[in-house]
Parts: sequence; C-alpha cells; structure tokens
Amino acid sequence: EDADRGASADLAVVEHRRRLLMEWLAWREQMEEEVREERIELGLPLDPIEGLLKKSEQPEGDEEVIEIE
Amino acid sequence: MRPTLLQGHERALTQIKYNRDGDIIFSTAKDQHICAWFAHNGERLGTYHGHQGALWTVDVDPTSTIIASGAADNTVRLWDIRSGKCLKVWDFNTAVKRVEFNEDGTQLLAVTEKRMGFLGTIVVLDINLDVEAEQSDEKAMTITCEDAKATVAGWSYMSKYIIAGHEDGTISQYDAKTGEQLDNTQVHEVDTVITDLQWSSDRTYFITAGKDKTAKLVNARDLEVMKTYVADTPLNSASITPKKDFVILGGGQAAMDVTTTSTRQGKFEARFYHKIFEEEIGRVRGHFGPLNTVAVDPTGKGYASGGEDGYVRVHQFDKAYFDFTYEVERQAKAQGQM
Repeated sequence: EDADRGASADLAVVEHRRRLLMEWLAWREQMEEEVREERIELGLPLDPIEGLLKKSEQPEGDEEVIEIE
Repeated sequence: MRPTLLQGHERALTQIKYNRDGDIIFSTAKDQHICAWFAHNGERLGTYHGHQGALWTVDVDPTSTIIASGAADNTVRLWDIRSGKCLKVWDFNTAVKRVEFNEDGTQLLAVTEKRMGFLGTIVVLDINLDVEAEQSDEKAMTITCEDAKATVAGWSYMSKYIIAGHEDGTISQYDAKTGEQLDNTQVHEVDTVITDLQWSSDRTYFITAGKDKTAKLVNARDLEVMKTYVADTPLNSASITPKKDFVILGGGQAAMDVTTTSTRQGKFEARFYHKIFEEEIGRVRGHFGPLNTVAVDPTGKGYASGGEDGYVRVHQFDKAYFDFTYEVERQAKAQGQM
C-alpha cells in the first residue's frame, strides 16, 4: 500500500513537470515567433550579432585557423 | 567539475563577464584594476589600469573589441581589449555600479549611485566600436530614479526596453528610446535589494537575484514573474545557462553577519536549479566567502564565480552535467517537442 502511494505521488510529480515543460516550450515558441516578426517589421537583422561580426571581419581578409588537438 | 583558480585580484570580486565566444573572462574587484583571462586555462591575458577607486562593473561588447567599466571613482571607462589602452573616460557625480552594452554594441548604459544631493540615474552613452574613433562626450539619455535608486540594469531584445532592478525590490521597464517609464512591479520582497540582473541569450527574459533569498525569472515584455528559485541565503548573483535549462545562483551571508565564519555556515556555494521545474539540483563548493558574482559561458561550456575571498573559480562542465535530464525532458526530446 505504501509503495502504491509512493508511486502515485511520483506520477503526480512527473505529470506536474510535464505540464511545466509543455507550458515553457509553448511560451518560447510563441515569443520567438513574435520577436522574429517584430524584427522583420523594423528591418532589424534576425540575429543582431551575426551581422555585426560579418561587418567587423570583412576588412581583415585573411582567415585565422585555430588547430584543436 | 575541477575548477581553475584565477589569482590576480587582492580584493573582493564584484563582477565577471565572458565574451561572446566564451574564450575570455573579464573580472573586476575592489582592487582598482580589471583582469582578462583565458577561460580554458586560466592564464592572465592582461590587466587594465587607470581607475582610481574600487571597480564595480565590467562588460564586453558583442564583437570582443572593447570593454566598458564603472567604478567608485565616479567614471565610466572604455578600453581597447587588445592593446589595453583606455579609449575614453566619462565623469559622473557619483559611483558607477553597473554598465551594460546593448545587443549590437552601439550603446552602453551606466547605473549611477544615489548620494547626498544626487539621485540615482541610468545614463545611456553612444558607443563607436572602432578603437581608432572618437567617442562622443555627450550623454545620449539620462533616466532619473526619483523613488528608489536602481542597483542593476540592462537592455532587452532589440534594445527595446531598459530594465532596471531597484533597492526596494521592484523592477522597472523603460522605453529605451525615450526613457519613459512604462512599468514598475514589485518582484522581490518589499525593501529588499535586487543585486543582479542577467539575460537569457535572446534577451526576452532575465533572472534577478535578491537579498530576500530568492531569484526570479521574469518576462522582459510584461515583467511577469515566470519562475521563482528559493534559496536559504541572501543572493548576490544569478545567471541563466544556455544549452541546458538551468540557472546558477550565488550568495552567502557576509562574515560580519554570521556568528561563525565556517564555510558551511556561510553557505558559500554556487547553487544549480532547474530553470523550468524550479528544483535545486546541485551545489558547487569552494569559495571561502560569499559569492559576489556568477557568470555563464555564452557557449554553454562552463561557468565562473567570483567571491568576497578575492578568487575567481572557473569550471568546465563535465559529461554528467550535460547528461543530467529529467524523464519528462527525455520523453519530450524523443517526441521531437524540444
């Protein structure tokens, strides 16, 4: 009986976590979509940093190769 | 997680920042100089000398060209990372407690201290990321905090909002173009100081740390508190990990506030919580004093903590860290939901 009670408590915890995770993922998806639309509307690059890096790397020319052992 | 100890500061750490690639760490302490370190081996890359008072804050621009710093000598300074040269000094009436670049590095905000005769402010400066260029003397905007002073502040996604945490436990949302206050919400306990504010990688939400022993995950758009992390000690810092859905909190009771100074009593540990489930999942010990600052590598490979003890401890996450998942996360992944 104790084991059963433990198991159903575990199940409730797992279900609670599942709900939290699904809520979070749904919010992230919605937020990412809305920000994407807002950026397009304002003519901003989708990734603010990628654009910057291209700009600053262009004048340097030669590519740096980093060897990983 | 075997840490690398960075020894180069003689006083308490105040802030740590990783650059965007996660290979360089910048640290400030009360000992008046900024240190730069290689994240992978802890070797010191350089120091930046010039401030005449305790350093409170540092930030690095997204292209890793320039760092900005703020100090008790009432100045904000810009530095060329590579040459170590000071590029610009802006003078204020009071100490500068926090600086932060916006997402494309075109502007910097600075939070100034409140002192007799001067209210706390948030000042915006225009930045030119070219180290050869002249920087503007003018302040692009000043927000004055009439009620409670701001202790921390940062820029949201698209540099749309400036978000500030205050000494009274509230958070403000300002229009970053006009400085108009759009919202002010009690997020932490009334009259408890907000000690840190750090962003998610896309700057749509942030985490705050409070002296009320909690950290809060807040939506930048409507200031809704989405998650609360409850600790058993006042918090000085909080950071969101990329790759894994965790947050890292740091704090601890200062020696003068506890009857004994044993590390266990002071609770000088970095605490890991699951970001979504709000559950504590682990602690990392090592500091001999409160953790004043925690920072996460933006590429998700590790984190660093800075203590009242004057040390920076850099940790590379190990396999167990990346393997740690809840059953519901594994199921969601298997079903392609995340």
